[in-house]
Amino acid sequence: MANQETQLLDEIIVTNRRKMLTLGASSLAALVLGASSTKAEAATVAYTDTDILNFALNLEYLEANYYYLAAFGTTIDVANAASTAANAPLISLTGTVGTAGTVSGGSAVPFSTITVGSYAVETAVEEGKHVQLLLSALGPTVAVAQPAINLGTSFQTLATAAQIPGGAAFSPYASDETFLVGAYVFEDVGVTAYHGAAPLLTSAANLGTAAGILAVEAYHAGLIRTTINYLDPTATGIASYTNLISTLRATLSQAGLLGVAPGTFDPAPDDYGLATFNVSLGASANVTATRLTDANPANVVAFSRNTTQVLNIVTGGGAVSGTTAVSPATGVFFPNGMNAGPNGFR
Amino acid sequence: MEKKLTTLIDKALSRRSFLAGSSTLAAATVIAGCSSGTDYVPPTPTPTPTPTTPTDADYLNYALNLEYLEAQFYLYAATGSGLAAADIAGGASSGYTTPGTLTAGSAAQVPNLTPAQQQILNEIAYEEQSHVRFLRSALGASAVAMPSIDLSFFGPLAVAAGITTAATGTGSFNPFSSFDYFLVGAFIFEDVGVTAYSGAAGLLTDKTVNLPAAAGILAVEAYHAGYIRTSLTGRAIAAAGASPATAYPYLAAANQVAALRATLTVGDSAAPSTTGSVETDLILPTSVRTASAIVAADPTHAVGFARTVNQVHHIVYGSATVGVKSGGFFPSGTNSIFATTTA
Repeated sequence: MANQETQLLDEIIVTNRRKMLTLGASSLAALVLGASSTKAEAATVAYTDTDILNFALNLEYLEANYYYLAAFGTTIDVANAASTAANAPLISLTGTVGTAGTVSGGSAVPFSTITVGSYAVETAVEEGKHVQLLLSALGPTVAVAQPAINLGTSFQTLATAAQIPGGAAFSPYASDETFLVGAYVFEDVGVTAYHGAAPLLTSAANLGTAAGILAVEAYHAGLIRTTINYLDPTATGIASYTNLISTLRATLSQAGLLGVAPGTFDPAPDDYGLATFNVSLGASANVTATRLTDANPANVVAFSRNTTQVLNIVTGGGAVSGTTAVSPATGVFFPNGMNAGPNGFR
Repeated sequence: MEKKLTTLIDKALSRRSFLAGSSTLAAATVIAGCSSGTDYVPPTPTPTPTPTTPTDADYLNYALNLEYLEAQFYLYAATGSGLAAADIAGGASSGYTTPGTLTAGSAAQVPNLTPAQQQILNEIAYEEQSHVRFLRSALGASAVAMPSIDLSFFGPLAVAAGITTAATGTGSFNPFSSFDYFLVGAFIFEDVGVTAYSGAAGLLTDKTVNLPAAAGILAVEAYHAGYIRTSLTGRAIAAAGASPATAYPYLAAANQVAALRATLTVGDSAAPSTTGSVETDLILPTSVRTASAIVAADPTHAVGFARTVNQVHHIVYGSATVGVKSGGFFPSGTNSIFATTTA
């Protein structure tokens, strides 16, 4: 497995180089990573295969802990009666690279509906398995330790930035509805992160694994968006929050492009909430459609983001200063930044 | 297993013939394709023999065939009519320039939808229509025409899956007859679409344009699958929680479809998804502490499944037999170098 994963990551690197090349020299100059000559530019792309998998592992630590706390009231490394009853994997935090941190905030959601509660349990188990898979694929000497993760006040910071009413007091652990809003923050981002990484893999086997996880993240995203739509079909409550969150994510994501005209990545906006939109079907004129899928409305291909874009979202803008990438990016969910190998993430 | 399946298909075919009435030619096509295993020669000219290494265009055209099918299904369900003529003709160098025929059967706009349900159907129809247009645009002159598509195959397929009248209330299985039936019909496609793109993505050689596009469409198919599975599960929970509690037979019907799909996922023994299950059954959760099963993924690592082109063709043809060129939803086969199942 480790060999496959290594190959996968090598491929990612090759692809990143190609993408940078396609941007052209002047665009590259604007990139903090970049130099204007191809040779130097290739040398500056310092990510290894392991780096990319570790990037995914940081995100999975974040997601898994959110769902474990909401569903079971515990973190991924501590079993309790609820997590045991659900057969949720107990994660041994074997990763050693970087600085191990603690998870702050979060508590069991007092679920009132079987629908939302059962979804939380399912998602927790699946995200836990993703952590397990990446840890075992990387191995303890290569895998990053779980970084400090803020799953408490981070949501209030984000909700305030998104201008959600009462955002300063927002807790995703208060009810079924707020839990869904919290989940909404993560899932579409997971899709775009894996989408951005998958094409960089050259080994078909490793690509297959990444594609399979990408699919699962999109299943989750579809689940969350569908459930919010069912609970608030007229978008007067939590569904309206999704529009606010998507707008914020799109803004943070575009900043992550660092002023470079998007080449392989999408122009703004690259995120849509649940507001309906009008479409033409066959020979039929404008009809109203939901937006249960977060995708480019022109070609309906899901969005893709690079690491800076993803970092800028999960740190609430901590990854970018002007047109310069900041490393380590800190803030919101990752108060001390992601854990990374010697090359860092940007 | 093959014998059992053949029996199922035979039952389905007789049922289908009964339902189809005048569509005897189409029924005969399925019979020839599915039960005898002989080489039925479709009216469309068969292209040159399969090259050793399929090109990206071959894989994208394979995807386009599947998108034609999905788009026609959802467009009929949402509006009562299908793809516009401009969206189905083939490119000059595709080898398949003339569109096939669409057998609508009982395809129609799903009745009695709430406004919210109608909007959801509109969305999925639009998105699959967009995939057709996107792939056609990407392929240009190489884009194959729409193959012949038979939307009346849902009935025989449901019977083959063991979905009886008793299981779904009154009447025979018709995905265009109600929202719940529609969900089961959509369930037939969506998880398969995910696995098809997952299986093909790694085979694309252009990793700058084609692979990201395929991965992005894969994600959209998974969003759709998540929607369909969430809806079936949620409506089952609501029915079970009603007073008095009622059964929701559509959940079981979907699982019967999943079982049939698993049975039809044959060949390519080295493929990742044939080393274990390729399906995750839907679950009716009974408390806030029990897990649902919205995601279809391998139970060990929660990684989504993949299927090969052969396995997908077995499913859409409704036949586990090797060497079949057509049948099921594609009465003249797919317009693809992969049209004949080889494993």
